[in-house]
Amino acid sequence: MIETTRQRSNIYRLLALIYRTEITKALLKHIRDPKFLSILSDMGAELEDDFLKGPEDNLIEVLAVEYARLFLGPDKHISPHESVHHERGDGDWGTLWGKSTVEVKNFIETSGLEYKSDYLGMPDHISVELEFMNQAAGREAQAREENDNDGVLCCLKMEKKFIDEHLTKWLPVFCKKIISEAKLPFYREMARITNNFIEFEKDEINRYIAEAEKEETSQVS
Amino acid sequence: MSKTDKVSRRDMIKAGGVVVAAAATGLLPDDAEAKKKKRRKKKKKLPHWAMIVDLRRCIGCRGCCIADKAEYGAALGRFNTVVKNVEWGKYPDPQKHFLPRLCNHCSGDESKEWQVPPCVEICPESKSGKRLKMGKETYRTGATYKRPDGMILLDPKLCIGCYKCIDACPYGVRSPDPNVKLTRPDREKDFGVGKCTFCRHRVDKGIVTSCVNTCQGRARNFGDLNDPKSDVAKLAKEHKLLENRDKSTLLPNMKTNPNVFYIDPDGVLEHYNKKLSKETKFAEFKSAFE
Amino acid sequence: MANLTRRNFIQLGIASGALLAAEEGFISPALAGRVKLKKGGKDFNFKTDAERTAIPTACWSCVTRCAAMGFVEDGRLVKMESNPKSIRTLGKMCAKGQSGPNDVYFPDRLLYPMIRVGKRGEGKWKRISWDNALAELTVRLKKLRDDGHPEKFMFHYGRMKASSSKLIKSVFLATYGTKTISGHTSICEGGKWTSQELTWGKHYDNWDFDNTNFILNFGSNVQEAHTNHIPTSQRLIRAKVERGVKSVTFDVRYSNTAAKSDEWIPIKPGTDGAVALAMCNVIMQNDLYDKSFFKFIRATENVNASNDEKIATLKAHLKQYTPQWAEKISGVSAAKIESIAKEFAKTKPAVVINYRGSVAHYNGNDTERACQMLAAITGNIDNPGGRCRGVGPKWKYPKGPKNKPKAKKLKLAHGFPGTIAYPNHGVCQQVLPMIKDGKAGRPEIYMWYCYNPVYANGDNQGNIDVLKDEKMIPFTVTSNIVYDESSKLADMILPDATYLERWDWEDMVDPNQIGEHYIRQALIKPLGEARDLGDVVIELAEKMGMPLGVGASKEEFVKKSHEMTAKAVKGFPGFDYMKKHGVWHDKNAKPKYYSHKKEIKADKLKGAILDEATGVYWDPHKAHAKHPEEGYAKTKKAYKGYVGQKMGDKVYKGFPPDKVNKTGYLELYSALLKMKGHPALPTYVPVPEHEKMKSDELVLTTYKVAVHVHSRSTHRKWLAEVYHDNPGWINPKTAGARGIKDGDKIKVKSKIGEIVTKAHVTEKIVPGIIAISHHVGREESGRYASGKKSPFAHDNDPDLKRIFWKAHGVHPNWIIPNSPDPINGQQCWMDTVVTVSKA
Repeated sequence: MIETTRQRSNIYRLLALIYRTEITKALLKHIRDPKFLSILSDMGAELEDDFLKGPEDNLIEVLAVEYARLFLGPDKHISPHESVHHERGDGDWGTLWGKSTVEVKNFIETSGLEYKSDYLGMPDHISVELEFMNQAAGREAQAREENDNDGVLCCLKMEKKFIDEHLTKWLPVFCKKIISEAKLPFYREMARITNNFIEFEKDEINRYIAEAEKEETSQVS
Repeated sequence: MSKTDKVSRRDMIKAGGVVVAAAATGLLPDDAEAKKKKRRKKKKKLPHWAMIVDLRRCIGCRGCCIADKAEYGAALGRFNTVVKNVEWGKYPDPQKHFLPRLCNHCSGDESKEWQVPPCVEICPESKSGKRLKMGKETYRTGATYKRPDGMILLDPKLCIGCYKCIDACPYGVRSPDPNVKLTRPDREKDFGVGKCTFCRHRVDKGIVTSCVNTCQGRARNFGDLNDPKSDVAKLAKEHKLLENRDKSTLLPNMKTNPNVFYIDPDGVLEHYNKKLSKETKFAEFKSAFE
Repeated sequence: MANLTRRNFIQLGIASGALLAAEEGFISPALAGRVKLKKGGKDFNFKTDAERTAIPTACWSCVTRCAAMGFVEDGRLVKMESNPKSIRTLGKMCAKGQSGPNDVYFPDRLLYPMIRVGKRGEGKWKRISWDNALAELTVRLKKLRDDGHPEKFMFHYGRMKASSSKLIKSVFLATYGTKTISGHTSICEGGKWTSQELTWGKHYDNWDFDNTNFILNFGSNVQEAHTNHIPTSQRLIRAKVERGVKSVTFDVRYSNTAAKSDEWIPIKPGTDGAVALAMCNVIMQNDLYDKSFFKFIRATENVNASNDEKIATLKAHLKQYTPQWAEKISGVSAAKIESIAKEFAKTKPAVVINYRGSVAHYNGNDTERACQMLAAITGNIDNPGGRCRGVGPKWKYPKGPKNKPKAKKLKLAHGFPGTIAYPNHGVCQQVLPMIKDGKAGRPEIYMWYCYNPVYANGDNQGNIDVLKDEKMIPFTVTSNIVYDESSKLADMILPDATYLERWDWEDMVDPNQIGEHYIRQALIKPLGEARDLGDVVIELAEKMGMPLGVGASKEEFVKKSHEMTAKAVKGFPGFDYMKKHGVWHDKNAKPKYYSHKKEIKADKLKGAILDEATGVYWDPHKAHAKHPEEGYAKTKKAYKGYVGQKMGDKVYKGFPPDKVNKTGYLELYSALLKMKGHPALPTYVPVPEHEKMKSDELVLTTYKVAVHVHSRSTHRKWLAEVYHDNPGWINPKTAGARGIKDGDKIKVKSKIGEIVTKAHVTEKIVPGIIAISHHVGREESGRYASGKKSPFAHDNDPDLKRIFWKAHGVHPNWIIPNSPDPINGQQCWMDTVVTVSKA
């Protein structure tokens, strides 16, 4: 189970990196590793030849342009922030720094984490939310290592709450928009994987919690 | 659980809750080394421990007084913490308030070069101990000494039992403690001095003090003023406690700069300060009730 | 794109891990720090920093019985804390709980079975072995049983709850065949319970401070002592500070609860009922009532009355109780009564709270009913933020042998015949007077447990006289941890285990309206030769040839109870989990509110018949009724067959009865009381003694402080150090008229005796009374309590030399007669008329 948790944590971190800024050289190098590509391909990700074979510098450039077009503007773009997409009953959504932003910030800060002073983005940027999940699952893995079942449950419940109250409230919409707007397959495929992964997590997390609760009941001091 | 110097100020939460250190799973930044250092520096900023007592919430149950007795197996006849009844007014509108008291873990007079409280200042053995490091700061232990995180602590191995600190404390929180045996051959008394230690042995392991743990009114709050997200920092900000020490601490005219603050909308301290004098100060810690 | 499989993600996860391991060249994370986890219940040695072993258990200092943690170091219990996982206590504990270790290690503790050698009460003792002690008890008990008189074994307990009660009372005593059993509830809160049974059924009202917006208090000192203190008290102060909830306290004494209220309203003793009724009147006449709740109220003889009829009836009845009338009686101004009544009625939700200050009076039954009425007419019953019916956890337990004998009893437990209308919870204070009287028979063996009959009741001298008389009671035996004023009068003393050395399952009410299961586990082995009475009765039964079959020890009984509960309560995790965590509640459970609104569907009415007179559907079979045709009201214990209440054309769960055959309505109109010649609707009856008071006479009232347990904690040194003296509180005006100054020695004299104590002249009390707390003033109970050493006590506590207090207080019960409320048997603690003069 520790392994699964670590893997989940890793996926969140990878996705966080992908959305955080334009793809860096280092990251691209790793993604273009044949082994990694074959896993993506297994997942049905259809990447173009350029991505698979083209010269690195050129590809970085092309992806950077696509990233900017999709997420940064200046023209019409898909803002990668929860408060823009998270449709709320009270109507307070659709803008930056909305109610959801505050909620996400509070959630993350209550968990014990803080926003670094050198992070200049918004608190509810997709990459931060994914990074939060990476940290939470990472902490869960540590608790598992220490046989600290209370800790595991505590983390899992936090993760579930975040998935239910935030991620699933906007990522499906957000990913759908990327899928339809993307010109290059890379971001389209990443959006698909992101969406699928969150869907998958949403169900699985309940199973993890049930298991941990069972563990809780069967543990003997 | 990590050792003293590793406990981050983020490790404290209130209400019997405790926190566990976790290895950060985050990745290193681009300019890894430089930022790593910077981060470490920031993280190592020492805590500034403080207690904030919300007098609106104290119901006078004395759970804290007994929790302290139990935590330390304290001898009869002396308390490390007490709750005093502060009363005024006439029937049918009398007033009764409850004032929890403990060592104030004073920072000491800011205008002095060596900023320590009177008890440390007067201790002939205040710097006779080992040279230790806490975070970046180096300090020496002593019979009574100030740790860089603000705790005023005692070391019976160094104490000669001169009891000067007992008189020096304007608050009367110190008393001879028959449970503290002195060992130095040149000691003047057999017993050392006792007082509240902010539960150093718990706090260093990330557990709130014994009195805070049990406080049903949640009147007592303990934490790090250097951590803007801590409850104490928030309370201090909300009630402007640091700015108004004359209203939020005991005997402000003594310029001791206590680190025990009170949220006191009813002006209880003003009534109590009048009563607290050189003559009366010791009696206050002999009884936890009246 | 097809849904991805788990395998896909595993692969991606592994690959990501490899990718991320490279570290360099990635953008730095946005977040710093670490995810923190809540953990509680750790403690360390302050000298060595070594961690202390934490064991979940439960407190037993007071009846609140908080879930707790015990910390053990080298086999010695050093510290108690609360259990941070408990939803009741929220990790908080009071002074009494914190003093737990004293209960185990006080130097005067009883550690060996003893038998008296001199005359009874002379104080000469011999140590005997457990074998000899049990052999003698076996012979005596067996003889009574074999002669056909098991009822001549009387068992009288103070606090015995949950598994202790089930094992000792429901299993052991039932198997033995005696029902000559008395509790102590009538000297505690029995009046309140009975009054609630007459109105809304089962007792225990939970005050929902978490959700309320206004608190109206008649004589409860919830912030110092309460039947569910820690869970309730902390929620009260939280509501006040965090949500600004207003509270108003009526009390004769400026208690700590009054001090933390927005307003203290001094009131004459025994007149709370008048004020409460006047408030009901204000609310009704101004049409501030909640009409919708009237559906569930019974206000008239006719159970089918319409809401309008009920309202009209109440209005007419209450008309006599004007605020001006109440002012004359209570001393509270009419304007104040009116304004508070209106504020209470208009603030939603609001909760009316009250306890012994208003109930332990001659007229306490109807004061409680008046409070119930205040809550009912404003719809603040069993609602979020109102006065709710307490919810506890459900436990199953082994019942012992199937074919128990038909138990016999001496009628000693329910007061002198015909004097009490509904002694539902016994009349504990009359047990010894009735033994003296002799008409109901006398026990040959009188055993008491966790109880101090001499001191806990009124008329201490009278109690001593009976208990000391070998002709009245041939054999006395107690199981106790402390050599108190009563143990002194035993023929045999069995050293009991403290609560920190024994096993139990526990069941006290949860303020969340959910119910929390929790257990008490032995933190250490009992000291000396002490043994839990639970274990002792199992062995006794064995020796008498009536094995109980519930396991070889209390621990096994508790374990078996867990196994049975696991089968009956969904999700209940069992013994190992409970030993590890100490507490459990169903995380999916919703707070229980409004259960009276539950409709009983036709299929649930199978086997039930409608009683036309009361509208009650009941199952005569379940009630073991031999002649169901006599009707619900007249059939003995018919309430056991209650199914639902017909209201209009529907059947509701309503307010199910307990102990008496009331209807399923919240009965403001009580046909049961009428039947016994008492007013059916809540009525103000003045305390007779107070009516006859001369101008120089005062009312004596008693109270509890936050740092002591009733009569069971003066041996705990940390508590005795804090509170060991109890001067009588007296107003300067009252004191001045008698030439009494603060600290003066005074004589307090009632019709049954006098005490000499000290005066505490204070502004915090109404004129015309004297208030004396009732914990201290011991003659025995060891050196911390009385200065007197107990038999076979040891001296190995260095604190013995440090006892600095010479005063041990004066117990007020010497001059308080044993007088019960005529309706419910509650001891009238607060009614005694006295004269006070300088001694």
